[in-house]
Amino acid sequence: MRNVKFFGNIPATKSRYGSHYGEKIFEVGRERYREWVPWRSKLSAMIVKGYEVEFSGNEKILYLGAASGTTLSHLADIVDEGMIYAVEYSAKPFKKLLELARNRENIIPILADASKPQEYSGVVEKVDLIYQDLSQRNQVEILEINSKFFLKRRGRMLMMVKAKSIDSTVEPREVFSLVLKEVSEAFEILATGDLEPYHRDHIFVSGVRK
Amino acid sequence: MRKLSYNLWFGKFEEKVELAEKLKESFKSARNNSPLPFNISDLGMEIFGKDYYKILRKIAIEVAEEKMEKELRSDEKYVIALVKALEELEEIINVLKEKKSDLELVKGTEIQDDFAESISNLERLKEKVEKEIEVVMERIAPNLTEVAGAKIGAKLIEKFGSLEKLAKAPASKIQIIGAERSLYKALARLKKGKEAKMPKHGIIFLHGFVRNLPKNKRGKMARFLAGKISIASKVDFFRGELEEGLHDLVKKRFEELRRK
Ligand SMILES: C[S@@+](CC[C@H](N)C(=O)[O-])C[C@H]1O[C@@H](n2cnc3c(N)ncnc32)[C@H](O)[C@@H]1O
Repeated sequence: MRNVKFFGNIPATKSRYGSHYGEKIFEVGRERYREWVPWRSKLSAMIVKGYEVEFSGNEKILYLGAASGTTLSHLADIVDEGMIYAVEYSAKPFKKLLELARNRENIIPILADASKPQEYSGVVEKVDLIYQDLSQRNQVEILEINSKFFLKRRGRMLMMVKAKSIDSTVEPREVFSLVLKEVSEAFEILATGDLEPYHRDHIFVSGVRK
Repeated sequence: MRKLSYNLWFGKFEEKVELAEKLKESFKSARNNSPLPFNISDLGMEIFGKDYYKILRKIAIEVAEEKMEKELRSDEKYVIALVKALEELEEIINVLKEKKSDLELVKGTEIQDDFAESISNLERLKEKVEKEIEVVMERIAPNLTEVAGAKIGAKLIEKFGSLEKLAKAPASKIQIIGAERSLYKALARLKKGKEAKMPKHGIIFLHGFVRNLPKNKRGKMARFLAGKISIASKVDFFRGELEEGLHDLVKKRFEELRRK
């Protein structure tokens, strides 16, 4: 994967920047890599488990639920010639995200509710990929409305789903099959899988807009 | 027919772009009810050239920072005010219910229906307030909310005065806060040389995991829960991100105590 290298079992992203959340830095000759901790990042867990996500490096990305920017920092290393619009609605973790955005030329931070894309519709451009990780009951709905506003035709999406945030009263497997059904209305599903043991009762779903 | 018009972060678009004087202001009001039928960066690049992203980032960061500072300050105050309102509402509802049944005992008249109507209106309002507390708590203290529940978490913040004070309080204080009255009573008895039971739980007694245990195990659960609440509020105050697994620990302990 672009700008990703494994050090033993641990992936790391090639970066010009320092540590963002306490991750290790590996130096290889004159190159620098930031350890990408699978326990902290679902995208890393996915990669450790052998799933590939293709990037050409100049993608425009809309990231929903960026929190303090853990995964975002690595994604920004990967699409080093692209642009990431990072939406997060909680002011607390946003503080750290803002620190990151100040240093990175390819991050545009947006403090807003992702269920109301109207609010940032005059800011975000049409994107190649929507990455969503926001543990919300109505996250599929949120994904769909954002796709309508911003995702290019045949654009991709990658979402992380936590069973407990959708419905904690039924078995994760049931939750996941419902989510997949719902997602497949607007997306052609490309791949899905669990993130054990790094993130329990989570799956990822990737797809292309129909 | 009205001409189509779009609000963009750098101005308005109506056939052509009308550049805003204050970019920060136009950024804040760049709201549209439906998707733009063009790509905003293409249009912006025609105007700003390759500086487009540089300017956009600068404005975005400024606007976000302002909004963040404002929200950090106001959300806690908001949740505290909501909790106070909720407590008052609960009391008013109880009083009204009492009065209604007092009236019923004396004489059955239509006025009771008016009471019933008012009560159900207030109950609806109470539900709305509770919902709002949940929404705000999830945002300002996701871990505390997961471990303690939104209402108890909010009550704790209210009692301590702020999330910061709660985060810095010892777990023993968290365990009994809200039980001050019984604590003072017990202390007074002790002073007089009498026997007294120290309270084992205050607000957190409202938590299902404490309340639903037999009496002799509640103290243990309350101590455990208070410890976890203390950790949760520290994570919320210092990091602000959800830590998986805290709630599972609490649930496990509850199951253990229940089975024993
Ligand atoms: C699991 S965390 C994301 C972790 C992050 N993606 C990472 O890997 O570094 C979920 C985040 O989504 C945010 N969130 C939930 N609902 C949201 C909404 N409607 N709009 C924006 N952010 C939301 C939460 O505040 C939280 O920070």
